[in-house]
Amino acid sequence: MATTLTINGEQKSFDAPPEMPLLWVLRDILGMTGTKFGCGIAQCGACTVHIDGKAVRSCVLPVSAVQGRPVTTIEAVGNSPAGAKVQKAWLDLEVIQCGYCQSGQIMAAAALLSATPNPDDSDIDAAMAGNICRCGTYVRIREAIKQAASGRQS
Amino acid sequence: MRRVKRILLSLAVIIIAAVAIGVWIIRGPGPLDFAGGNKAAVADYRAGKPTGVPVALEKASLVERGEYLAKAADCMVCHTKPGEKQFAGGLAFKLPFGTLYSTNITPDKETGIGNYSDQDFLNAVQRGKRHDGAMLYPAMPYASYTYMTDEDLLAVKAYLFSLPPVRAPAPENTLAFPFNQRWAMLFWSAVFNPDTRFAPDTSKSPEWNRGAYLTEALAHCGECHTPRNLGFALDNRKKFAGAVTAGWRAFNISSDKATGLGNWSDEALVSYLSTGHALGHGTASGPMGEAVDHSLSQLAPEDVRAIAVYLRSIPPQASPDLPATTAPAAPASHKEGVTADARGKMVFEGACVSCHGWTGESLVSPTATLTGSWAVNDPAATNVAQIVLSGTKRTTPDGALSMPAFGNAYSDDEIAAVANYVTARFGAKGSKLTAKDVAELRQQTAQ
Repeated sequence: MATTLTINGEQKSFDAPPEMPLLWVLRDILGMTGTKFGCGIAQCGACTVHIDGKAVRSCVLPVSAVQGRPVTTIEAVGNSPAGAKVQKAWLDLEVIQCGYCQSGQIMAAAALLSATPNPDDSDIDAAMAGNICRCGTYVRIREAIKQAASGRQS
Repeated sequence: MRRVKRILLSLAVIIIAAVAIGVWIIRGPGPLDFAGGNKAAVADYRAGKPTGVPVALEKASLVERGEYLAKAADCMVCHTKPGEKQFAGGLAFKLPFGTLYSTNITPDKETGIGNYSDQDFLNAVQRGKRHDGAMLYPAMPYASYTYMTDEDLLAVKAYLFSLPPVRAPAPENTLAFPFNQRWAMLFWSAVFNPDTRFAPDTSKSPEWNRGAYLTEALAHCGECHTPRNLGFALDNRKKFAGAVTAGWRAFNISSDKATGLGNWSDEALVSYLSTGHALGHGTASGPMGEAVDHSLSQLAPEDVRAIAVYLRSIPPQASPDLPATTAPAAPASHKEGVTADARGKMVFEGACVSCHGWTGESLVSPTATLTGSWAVNDPAATNVAQIVLSGTKRTTPDGALSMPAFGNAYSDDEIAAVANYVTARFGAKGSKLTAKDVAELRQQTAQ
């Protein structure tokens, strides 16, 4: 099925069956491999993208359900104020270890900050608990979110 | 002497009368008695053809017609053990007094029904009487199938006999005394099986009659949705008022406005029956999900509409334990709304929120929306716990969407906590499930 989606502000057209998860379209058809495949059942958060600015797991989202709604991926999240702040804090605090989960972590954190500019610990839990990091960078993730929110420099 | 005899005779008459009245009271009305109109034999009913297959299939072969009817009667789901050959039996029915296993209905001569004559097949399905004369347990819903016409049942038989025979002996039942006495089912059957064929109601439309035939005789909706009486038969005084069957709650499908289908639009009803989902009413899972996947979704559109027309005519029955209205969407912030169960919230934010959202309205798919479903509005949380335990899968126009089973990932405590959190946040009244309740629910659905 010929489909056109707005991804990172650009119109992208492709052929995909309506039930194909958005993640497959991004990675396998459009070659946008910044978004990662983790579990495939919305339990790890590695595939998180923004739909209408909200964090959504792209591995379970049929592409037909995205029609007409703007998609933002890790490749362009730095263009938004919240995304830019998050990326800077991530670099400043050297959050990343192996990095596999981190595009999902950054997308979840950016969505959190654009909805809740000054999150407390419970807000961070509520937004980030579904994003798993096997390297255990959780402490630095929490710190980086707080730093991005406060705008302070490390 | 004569006086004694007279007293004994009077006593006997009184006892027989008491038993007869007792049986009459327990048995209650038949499934179609509520309609009250004049009944006609199918052959004499000229307004339409309530039995058989839809028009498009009328010219099809006997086997094809039988296949459609077997789907409408949903034979396969009960006669198939998950992961094994279709129709080869072996599915466990966990009852309070032991476990029953479904039998092999492939045409294997030794372990299946390969030796059944037409009359044997009719005896089994309409009368609960096996080829060897033994009685079937009413887990096989022959008191519903008895309303099927001989013609339709023999088409089903032709379809079953067209399948490859599978050698699969049924596992031994493990029923406790006195339930292991099959002969006692003779009495059950004499009292509770009407052993009568469907008779159209001349005061109703042909569409209603088709719906009645499909709903009562084939789809056997009442077997889950009607509460049972003392004799474990359907209590049609509370027709379609809802019941818990096999560890899942089959909700009220009477026309009650608050807790039944009275407020559902026709479109919603047809959509739920044919796709397992209706916007704002939740998504079919568990046994209803299976009924949709293997039976209702396979029916011709006019047959689904006929079922909907018939369901609309069922007298209202209230479910007093359910709230008068389902709860609206929860607040967008995790901080607002009910957050009493800290552990439940922890599980929810880790495993559930990414699909179901804090409002209960899913960002991923309307089929994953919790808001408006009876499952989250049931203060017993039966189906919420079951779906968390065993997951669910629904085929939508957008393809298959599934929720993983969490039964092996979380403890009974955690599942009770998240079910209590979910019903409190997204339903009208939170549940109070304990780990023990969850352990029991696991047992009831384990195969």
